[in-house]
Amino acid sequence: MKTIQTLKSVAREGLAWLHAQPDMREAEVFVAANDQLLTRLNYTSEIPCNGVEEPKSTASFGLGLRIAWNNGEGIRTGFGSDLGDLSLHGLERAFHRAKLGAVLDPEFVSLPKPNGHQPIAQRLQDHRAMALADRDLVAAGWKTLEGALETFYTSEDLMAQAQGKDQVARLGLIVGGDVILLKERIAVASTHLPEVAGDESTAVLSSATAMVEHREAKGSGWSAVARWRDFDAGAGAEAARNAIRAMGGQRVPDGEYRVVFGPQPVTDLFHNLVIPSLQADSFYSAATPFLGKLGQTIAWEKLSVYDHGALPGLAGSKRITCEGLPTGRTDLVRGGQLVGLLSNYYESRRLLKDPNARQKLGIDPYVRPAALVARNGFRYLEGGGRHFGIPPRIAATNLFIEADEAAVSHQDLLRRVGDGLYIGRIWYTYPINGLARGDFTCTVVGDSYLIKDGTIQAPLKPNTVRITDNVHHILNSILGIGGKPRPTVVWAADQVVHAPEMAVSGVTVRQIAVGGL
Amino acid sequence: MAYAITEAGRSQIAAELVDQKLQLARDVVAESRSMKDLQYCDLRLEVVESKEAWVENGQPKVGMQGERLCVGIRVIAGNPVAAPAYYGVRLGTAAGLAGALRDGIRQAHERALASAQEKALARRSFGPLGASLYSTRLAPVPLVQERVPPSMRRDPRSVPLAEVFAYLTPISARLAALDGRVLFNLLRAETQLRRQLFCSSEGACIDQTYARTEGICVVVAQSPDGASPLELYDASGHQAGWELMEEGLRRDYVQLPDFETFCLALAQDALGVSAAPPLKPPDGDVVVVTDPHFNALVAHEVVGHPTELDRALKMETAYAGRSWLLKDLQDNQVGKVVASPLLSAFSDPTLDGYGHYLYDDEGTPGRRAYHFESGVFKEFLNSRQTAAVAGVAPNGSYKATEADLVPLIRMSNTAFAAGDSDPAQIVAEVDHGYYVQTHRIPSVAESRENFCISAVKVYEINNGQLGRPYRDGAVAADSRDYFLRVDAVGNDLRLFPIPNCGKGQPMQAKRMSNGGPTLRSVARLVGTRQG
Repeated sequence: MKTIQTLKSVAREGLAWLHAQPDMREAEVFVAANDQLLTRLNYTSEIPCNGVEEPKSTASFGLGLRIAWNNGEGIRTGFGSDLGDLSLHGLERAFHRAKLGAVLDPEFVSLPKPNGHQPIAQRLQDHRAMALADRDLVAAGWKTLEGALETFYTSEDLMAQAQGKDQVARLGLIVGGDVILLKERIAVASTHLPEVAGDESTAVLSSATAMVEHREAKGSGWSAVARWRDFDAGAGAEAARNAIRAMGGQRVPDGEYRVVFGPQPVTDLFHNLVIPSLQADSFYSAATPFLGKLGQTIAWEKLSVYDHGALPGLAGSKRITCEGLPTGRTDLVRGGQLVGLLSNYYESRRLLKDPNARQKLGIDPYVRPAALVARNGFRYLEGGGRHFGIPPRIAATNLFIEADEAAVSHQDLLRRVGDGLYIGRIWYTYPINGLARGDFTCTVVGDSYLIKDGTIQAPLKPNTVRITDNVHHILNSILGIGGKPRPTVVWAADQVVHAPEMAVSGVTVRQIAVGGL
Repeated sequence: MAYAITEAGRSQIAAELVDQKLQLARDVVAESRSMKDLQYCDLRLEVVESKEAWVENGQPKVGMQGERLCVGIRVIAGNPVAAPAYYGVRLGTAAGLAGALRDGIRQAHERALASAQEKALARRSFGPLGASLYSTRLAPVPLVQERVPPSMRRDPRSVPLAEVFAYLTPISARLAALDGRVLFNLLRAETQLRRQLFCSSEGACIDQTYARTEGICVVVAQSPDGASPLELYDASGHQAGWELMEEGLRRDYVQLPDFETFCLALAQDALGVSAAPPLKPPDGDVVVVTDPHFNALVAHEVVGHPTELDRALKMETAYAGRSWLLKDLQDNQVGKVVASPLLSAFSDPTLDGYGHYLYDDEGTPGRRAYHFESGVFKEFLNSRQTAAVAGVAPNGSYKATEADLVPLIRMSNTAFAAGDSDPAQIVAEVDHGYYVQTHRIPSVAESRENFCISAVKVYEINNGQLGRPYRDGAVAADSRDYFLRVDAVGNDLRLFPIPNCGKGQPMQAKRMSNGGPTLRSVARLVGTRQG
């Protein structure tokens, strides 16, 4: 993997070369190297399997240029990139491509300019994770799997179900999941940045799903940490414990339920519905359920949601964005009121310039400029790496969901619900009628329970209910938010949601697969 | 003023590179046979030459073009227990390629040996739970040596980015000017030439080239009362050159208009539907007649996905889910009735659809696999590894979206087969029911045993006549019940491009075709919960 010194040097020299080109107005050089090591778990007690299925890696490095030229008709902007060549030749190719794709964009104001803030001083990368060997990752995958197998193998509950240790395999035990190590390095030099900015970060993500399939029981385990020393391979054992706990699941009738959503469903709801709805580009394109609601109440009066990319030690943290600007805290919802949006520099500037901005946002953006600070311009590509081959888009970093009240325990949340459901894992949570409408549906696939008199009574049978509801209803029907957030990443997500448990009233639940399989 | 790139700065990456490196690839794979306990090795080397442009509201935004060289390696090694491992890299230069390929094989080999050792240890440590940890093997396939040329009229490489912008920009401007209620539109076009070389230690060597062109259109339209914007999205795409955008394609089951006509139709739909009232669904089950576009997503989500054998064998339990068609190798639906005798469904990569190919990413010839044949479940999509586990013949369904990524079992051209009913008659026979037109967004249950798929438009049918359209409607049903209750199948089979089927970790968005004819069945309708 290329060193940060190499990336910075390429960015610096590249910018100097670009500044020497004719008609140059502004330029930005983004240089990145990304390595991803990944091992997938696949264990099935009744079907031949590999245990660890895919020890694998992907790697790339390259540079991406954003350039603005002075032109008789206005400002022409272009983006060009080159893969795997950090020499002048690679720079020249990227420049040539930027020229070929250059356009007159009347909404362009300038390349990102500093906002007066400084990036945090701490380095975020873990040297040990950066130097990890192939064999270590393979071992981590096996350790995670073996935690699950050990839990299954020593479970007295399973032995009782199987009527003997030798028969446990016949219960249809499954363990799936992965261990992922992300290693990212970037450098950004720009006409407007006082010096070359660099960033290195690591993240170790692990998720496991375990099943006792013939008892229709499923459990999950996961972790998302920034440092290798914090990775304990415990996700497999956790998933197996939760699967064993979920045996004997029951069905529930159709109805509106009080529900405690666990960290995974909260993450899924925010990832698929709330986060995309709070992005500046969704407001620009009028594709958000919160259109025209900036400054207005959109949720439970005690709800606060914010993004914070500059907290050392968290898996979603970065020192700078992929535009070279410092990360930091962006308040999105405070006291139930929409107060800010996730944005990058381009989207913030074009909303400020948009003649329809007042209609789209609900207020004159110049009245509340803090709502549109560009702290979230990233070049993520579906859950892995900061890619030089695309211009910056908008992504969250570490998302926090909190309540403006004293910490509420798990037991308190169950008591607030009284009789209802604990939903620990949902699936295929999509805005079924488009993001702007706010409608969504999903099914409940595991880790879920019936709540009776404020206590967990029995497991809910997986894949037997579908939730169909609306994001406005969910956000305005919150009964309480737990005080112990858990860093959670869902499939193909870029951000880490530090997800609490969340109790909600009136959630519409309907039975599915009534005839069984 | 165009920048005159120096000779030294010109890219070395072009499809012709495969000709130069073919022997090298064969040699390094052949050399791998002497590595310790290596059972199998394959190498995929792919060159992609690509152009892409985005236009919003009549204004060009971003144009991108580039070339990449992707390398993917699989090794199965170990003794007495073998395990698989992979290595992937993207390169911008062919300089030092020999070293890079040998290093990649070495790394994949080391990972495979390390995993095989751990597997052997786990087999001993967990008693009966270790028994299923087997020694990886692949089902046999014919060893093919072949070159497959592309089918295209306008080579994507010959299309300047300026021409792509020049084509898209007036279309986007026209959409913006259609009506004040069109709040936003985005058009994206991509045209690519992809050439992939596959070499295996068994002796296969396949060189395949495909052109791929795709257009995506997003339109946001405001309702007349200004309260409920509606966003619609659809894609056109085929394995074709740039001619697809300008002329469209009319061939067998594929009827794609030129991209301008396609975008205008979508915008008109957005304007019309945004003005429609929301569906107030009745309680209980109703008769639903679904059009071919809607059925494309049903075929995708409820037939194609659960017939992927990796899901069925529980390998996707943590990600894409399992399959309602297989509990285990003894208890499954193969040979059993899962649908109406009127209903058949298949996958066929040899069809001229967006998911076309002749050989998959482990060199297996693609062939038609019938999933449902007159209501009876017949065959899963598979890979060589899963075929060996299930004891069946490989059918060539193992594909990666880029060569540096690990292949997965994927759909190709997956559809319900045509029946013999006139679609108009299928509607005319309904006393009371609903006509469901054009798919929108799916949500399916974990083993695909239940689905909820929204539609762009839902019409009430009374005495065989369509009433007014409604927005925000969806069809929900348990999969097997729905298929068993199909009582009419149209003769109007159509295939539609699906540009974004996500699967795998990291996620791979594969292109494919899905489709079907008009179908009639019974389901529940779902509406909006917005007040």
